[in-house]
Amino acid sequence: MAEEKENGKKVPIREGLFTLPLIPVEQVKLLGSKCKKCQEVGLGKRLTCAHCGGEEMDEIPLSKKGKLWTYTVIRHKPPGDYKGPDPFVPFGLGLVELPEGIRVLSPIYGDPDKLKIGMNLELEVYPLYVDENKNEVMAFRFRPMEEESR
Amino acid sequence: MKEVAIIGVGIHKFGRFEDKSYLDLGQEAAKMALRDANLEWKDIQMAYLSKMYLPATSVARILKPLGATGIPMCDVEAACASGGIALSQAIWAIQAGAFDLVMVLGVEKMPRGFMDPSMIYEKWQIQMGMDTNPSYWAMRARRHMYEYGTTELQIAKVAYKNHKNSVHNPYAMYQKEFTIEEIMNSPLVCDPIHLLEICAPNEGAAAVILCPKDKAARYTSKPITIAACVPTNSYYSADFRAPLDSLSAKTNYPGPTEVASKKAYDQAGIGPKDINCFEVQDTDAFCEIEIYEQLGLCRIGEGGRLIDEGVTEITGKYPVNMSGGLISKGEPIGASHLGQIFEIVMQLRGQAGKRQVPGAKTGLAHVLGAGNNCAVTILKV
Repeated sequence: MAEEKENGKKVPIREGLFTLPLIPVEQVKLLGSKCKKCQEVGLGKRLTCAHCGGEEMDEIPLSKKGKLWTYTVIRHKPPGDYKGPDPFVPFGLGLVELPEGIRVLSPIYGDPDKLKIGMNLELEVYPLYVDENKNEVMAFRFRPMEEESR
Repeated sequence: MKEVAIIGVGIHKFGRFEDKSYLDLGQEAAKMALRDANLEWKDIQMAYLSKMYLPATSVARILKPLGATGIPMCDVEAACASGGIALSQAIWAIQAGAFDLVMVLGVEKMPRGFMDPSMIYEKWQIQMGMDTNPSYWAMRARRHMYEYGTTELQIAKVAYKNHKNSVHNPYAMYQKEFTIEEIMNSPLVCDPIHLLEICAPNEGAAAVILCPKDKAARYTSKPITIAACVPTNSYYSADFRAPLDSLSAKTNYPGPTEVASKKAYDQAGIGPKDINCFEVQDTDAFCEIEIYEQLGLCRIGEGGRLIDEGVTEITGKYPVNMSGGLISKGEPIGASHLGQIFEIVMQLRGQAGKRQVPGAKTGLAHVLGAGNNCAVTILKV
């Protein structure tokens, strides 16, 4: 952990959200927690299963490819300390269904007016902003796969 | 179980009141309820305050100035369902025999615009822009449209109905009718939801006074019986209100509105067909369509048909949001459920004026919000 706090490193926007290491970034995946008892999967590192209360959780990497289950378009700058583009650009927000049986809430990169339910998406882990220690803070979004963006 | 009755109700108009503090709003509603119940403040034995955005121990700040009588008081919070959880606490206290005369007050004075996201979301969710509350309702709407063919026009019709109803409600923030065109041409906030289809956070207060039903006749000639009051939180992955990071794609449980309403119908011994009027959580216009289905007014997926056929108009079989709903009243969160109770009580007493559902004898109030908190209350004459 200590070395990640040094200047100029990549750090996750939330601990336990990604597989490590964060380099090379193309190989980083979202981390899931799978309950040994009921097999339900939640996003990120979890100590307890919110479904059955089980306390034996396996950390599993989540697939990078999924399908858009539902979405909206954020038309106005979100409240609070939003770190996206300034000036604000409308963006898609959706639930992305992954093969592990989980739907992950995620910003959807690309033209928000071309989104449609069922489209194929791919995970992208990217630097959202640079923090006060000059670390790159790594966030995630999904983007339409090649054949979808034509 | 001992039956509990409402013997007095009060309200402070919902809206924006630059010249009033939350103390003023709350005290006005509390005094109105006391007058309505022919009581004085010193008669009240316990007081609950439903609030989300007010500071700590607001109940004492609001009510002690009416007289420091030494009674116990506490603040209660469950986001949009705060009023439901406060009301249920009061009912349980009376049923337990702890008190006879209990006040439940709801007050809110919220900042303009989007609600402070740090109240609900984690820092990373805010930084990534996943903290616009209407986005959660909008995603539900989009999925419903995909699965059941619900249309943007049907969503707009709900907003049209509620704005139209509010014209006759002196306690609503906007008492203004809009055309379908004006609604559909208002700016998109989160697709497919438009500005005139969303409720605004605002300010207001409402109060009810409760007592055991067998003692109600001492205070009023028109007691209203609480047939059920069921607060709930959702089962695993059964709803997606804010905040949220992921959902199960494998496991299905009934949503909180279905769970709470089913329990409430069982407790009241009546079903949706026996209920004459409804006040429900129209945080946005789509939400109301989904609630028709979840309350059992129609089958899942048929909510759009109900609005098309006028079933939920004041003149329809299942009148919904006679008051104008939150879309036109605004949503002072802590006060919203008690404001719904105020409306239903007016309806059941036959005092709702031009909003009156003729001969209403039963009514249902429903709230639902952040953290998947939900409550359903059924009242009867």
